[in-house]
Amino acid sequence: MAAPYTHVGHSVQRNGRFLLRHLQAHRTFGWTSAVRQQAAEPKKEQEIIIPKKKTWSKVAVLEALASTVNRDPTAYPYQFQDDPYLSPRNNMEFKLFSLSQESGRAAAKYFVNNHPKFFTKDFAEPHIPCLMPETVTLCLEEVSEEALKERIQLRKVTAAVDMFDQLQQTGTAVSMKTIHNLLDLICLYCDKEPFPEEEPQTEETEQKRRTGQVHRASNYLKLTWKENNNAERIFNTLPERDTRCYSALIRGMVKHGAHAKAFSLYTDLLNNRMTADVHIFNALILAAPDVREVHMEKWDLITELLKQMNEQKIRPNLQTFNNVLKALRRSGLYVRTQAVQVLNEMKAVGIAPSLASYEHILAMFYKPGSSAQNNTVMLQEVISELQGTSFTCRDPHDSMFFLTAMRICFDYKDLELGYRVHSLLEVGENWRLLGDNYHQGIYYGRFFHLLCTMEHLEEVLKWYRLLVPSRYYLNHQSLRTLLQALDTESRLDLLPTIWKDMKTMALDNNSDLLDELLRLMTREEHSAEVQDSFADCVLDINKAFDSKPNLEWSTSGLTDATTLLLRASRTQKAWEMLQLFKSKNRVPCEVLLNSFLTACHAEANKQRAVELVQLSAAFYLPSTARLAQRVQAEFDLTEEQRDLLSELGTSGEPETDVRESSPL
Amino acid sequence: MPTNQQASKRAVMESTTSMFQRATEKASTDSEELNPALVAAASAAASTLPNPHQAESELLRQLRKRKAMSDAQKKANAESLGVIIADMKVGKRAGRQSSSPAGQILFDDDGRGFTADKGITAELASVHRRCDPLNPLTLSTNQMPLSGFEEMIQWTKEDKLWAYPINNEAGLEEEASVPFHEHIFLEKHLEEGFPDKGPVRHFMELVVGGLSRNPYLSVQHKKEHIAWFREYFHQKEDVLKEADNFLN
Repeated sequence: MAAPYTHVGHSVQRNGRFLLRHLQAHRTFGWTSAVRQQAAEPKKEQEIIIPKKKTWSKVAVLEALASTVNRDPTAYPYQFQDDPYLSPRNNMEFKLFSLSQESGRAAAKYFVNNHPKFFTKDFAEPHIPCLMPETVTLCLEEVSEEALKERIQLRKVTAAVDMFDQLQQTGTAVSMKTIHNLLDLICLYCDKEPFPEEEPQTEETEQKRRTGQVHRASNYLKLTWKENNNAERIFNTLPERDTRCYSALIRGMVKHGAHAKAFSLYTDLLNNRMTADVHIFNALILAAPDVREVHMEKWDLITELLKQMNEQKIRPNLQTFNNVLKALRRSGLYVRTQAVQVLNEMKAVGIAPSLASYEHILAMFYKPGSSAQNNTVMLQEVISELQGTSFTCRDPHDSMFFLTAMRICFDYKDLELGYRVHSLLEVGENWRLLGDNYHQGIYYGRFFHLLCTMEHLEEVLKWYRLLVPSRYYLNHQSLRTLLQALDTESRLDLLPTIWKDMKTMALDNNSDLLDELLRLMTREEHSAEVQDSFADCVLDINKAFDSKPNLEWSTSGLTDATTLLLRASRTQKAWEMLQLFKSKNRVPCEVLLNSFLTACHAEANKQRAVELVQLSAAFYLPSTARLAQRVQAEFDLTEEQRDLLSELGTSGEPETDVRESSPL
Repeated sequence: MPTNQQASKRAVMESTTSMFQRATEKASTDSEELNPALVAAASAAASTLPNPHQAESELLRQLRKRKAMSDAQKKANAESLGVIIADMKVGKRAGRQSSSPAGQILFDDDGRGFTADKGITAELASVHRRCDPLNPLTLSTNQMPLSGFEEMIQWTKEDKLWAYPINNEAGLEEEASVPFHEHIFLEKHLEEGFPDKGPVRHFMELVVGGLSRNPYLSVQHKKEHIAWFREYFHQKEDVLKEADNFLN
């Protein structure tokens, strides 16, 4: 592949000076902009060095192509762009589908690894190692260091410990490196198997399953460091222990909750006049708040540790400072003022603070719920400092930064700052630092809430179209906020479009939300087209209520629905809706019946008016008499109708009835 | 090979040429995929032995095996993937395979967990750090690809996809360093261990000629091929000597 490019390079180099001379002579515009830019360099450079060859990375072509593709707000996430039926419409579906994709991959991997005899033929040239079966079962059975190394590499904790014990018994020497790895393995997994094998189906397992999943629950419990477990035992049997062994033990103890033991082991290390390493100190700093009760003592312990670190000439790394900040979070108010000093220390040592450091500080000073700070100045400073930077994840806690920042913006209702935080998120690949879909949902939920409460409706709708549903799925809470925003700005004519989105996102399964929607639609009278669209909406909602068995109409909902249909002059449908009152055991109010009567009058439908009074009488409403009078007065009735009405009018006495509903 | 057995039973020790002819027609019926001249030579060489059909079958089997490999490589079809039989790995790839999964457990930078160092070079380590699901940094970031191009970038970094622009000889750098004359001029391997004249030499010269035209085997394989024959004829040396005396 080098051949054609070198040829070009040569020719350009040969012609380079020639071109330049021409450029200076003619100053035509026929040259490409690149050449012009190169030639336009300051005149003090007489020659322009054109490289003979430029090497590109393996993925340069693909990266260039990928940079042409922006995020499409109307498309589903890439991993679901296969089958429209399997595109997730809400959070639950997203989780389900992505989990099923992953489980498919895991199943395939499991099958390939556990049945390698079906995958012996290697078609690929050059060989692709990651598509071939990995060895997951042990091959070496004899007692040797190789077998021990194999067990460590396959992360089989108990097997490795057994093999080590056997090696000790036979007296074989094991290299220090392997011992280090063994201790690392045991301490990492707290002496338990990380990937427990499936037990073969025997009678005992069947019985265990019947008596309840006791043995499975233990997998989910937090691992605790047991007294004198294998790690400690092996550690104590070692003839010589170096820093790395201590390091493994201390880190394991801190990770699994044995904080006091970690400190005692550290004093042991100091007594043996050995120097610790940076990982030991990181772990101890993390454990410091757990071994002291009083806040000041915690801080003293941390400073003590840092001093010892300095004495032992160990350079701190980013994790050290982040752990200090994390420990400070759990301390009292006074010590938090030390936090800013920690940042200065970091800068003095030359370690750039990561997002996690800022997150710890912000969380300390902006505790949720309290109003310790009365403005967002600190966050503004942080954002100004970080503006335009592209981040990589240097600490697993980095992903909480944007969530905390947006929470602060929302708590203080600072829209401008919210925009700035979001623009920081949009820089480069920073959006990846939001983490998984759950955290992403939290972040965008807060952002959306902030927008709905503080921003004009046009902007809100613009962001709505941008974010939903490509990046964020609405939930009930955010939908309510959106409806409130629409209400505030009196743009209730947009409600039918919102309803359509609600249906797509499967948010139409909450009767409260639907009632809210209907109430908003009924609140005012609108123009004819809007009323028409509302009426269509109502019919849709009716269908939704019919199709979902767990949704129940409420009285207000039914009333609103009927009113809307009346306003759109769909009297027939309204009549059917009125029948629903009876079937759903709800009682219509007088206002509704009166308005219905008005509508009947407008249509000059005498029969219906009479039926209406009958309906009212069936409910034993006190308003029956008044209705009857109205009908008699306004309508031109036949004799029998008059008789009927007078009968109803007198029989409908104002008696208190159990079924009468309270005024709505 | 039943027909061969029947033929050998009926065969009478006649002059070499008639044996040659008969062997040719018998052999060509059931081994048409092999080069007939080679087959004929094999049969001729084998028929000097007292147990001709077995010797011939062994020789032919060896030839066929190597031819199958070459054929398999030739059958690289439209997807531009060659077919390599599992045991014919180039030494470099075997080395890569053994180094990648068998890694040592090292401390992670952030002190939170341990990553298995899956590669020796730093580049490999950083790639696998990104793809390694047990790495806490990878777990806390969103690694999903945004588009098909990003997915292809991930696959390229995992060595699952060819790197663009495609270099046909990617992965074959070792082979590129072997000079061509070592592939073609293989007679020098015939200088020792083989007789200078006779049907065996004739057969071996044809073998060497075929190997020199074979672009699918590496030099190492060709040397092994010739060594196999050297070993084989060495074992049957006393038998050959007997047959020689008998003929002359």
